[in-house]
Amino acid sequence: MAYNREGSDDRDRGNKNKFRRTYHRRKVCKFCADSSLVIDYKDIRNIRYFTTERGKITPCRISGNCAKHQRMLALAIKRARNIALLPYTTSIVN
Amino acid sequence: MRYYETLYIINPDLADDAYQEVVAKMNALVQKEKGVVTRVEEWGKRTLAYEVKKFEKGSYVLLQYCGESGIVEELKREMTLDDRVIKYQTIKLSDHADPEALKAAGEEERKEPGEEGKITEDERRAADEGEDGIQ
Repeated sequence: MAYNREGSDDRDRGNKNKFRRTYHRRKVCKFCADSSLVIDYKDIRNIRYFTTERGKITPCRISGNCAKHQRMLALAIKRARNIALLPYTTSIVN
Repeated sequence: MRYYETLYIINPDLADDAYQEVVAKMNALVQKEKGVVTRVEEWGKRTLAYEVKKFEKGSYVLLQYCGESGIVEELKREMTLDDRVIKYQTIKLSDHADPEALKAAGEEERKEPGEEGKITEDERRAADEGEDGIQ
């Protein structure tokens, strides 16, 4: 039993090592790093950076924003969408 | 006093004086409701991100003012009735604000950057239009 468990543990560890090779860089929230940046729904140039090509809001998993700033940003994007500064979605041009 | 900001879009096909009339009307309405207009910013004609009432473009006007909550209701009523206004959005900036201080701050801001401020605004507009063109 004990042998068995040890054996399986070893194998598991081996597998984990194999899969955990993916290297990820630690992302820093842009707005925490630079406190002079203000999230404003009228400033589309900065806000557009956090949307995808199709106009979706980039998840913080990708953008690296902290939860607080991601919330503020999401609100700003939604406000900008409402007043037609940003698109809800884009139609396929081709 | 509360501090509000309304961004509204005016029909782009209007003649210049009709456009000015709408802007003046909204400003007068704020004053009539005992509010204080702290800032009016005309962004000019911009391409809308999506069609609004069959319009591809619109003239944006930003109106910042102090006052009680009744003003927002009144502005909303007026803008829905007036078909020259295509779309509007009001946001509360703060609960307690001193209109005089805000006015002074706004004027100072406008004076200090001077030419520089103008350039950046033009740049912003150009960049925005460029981005819209790509889409």
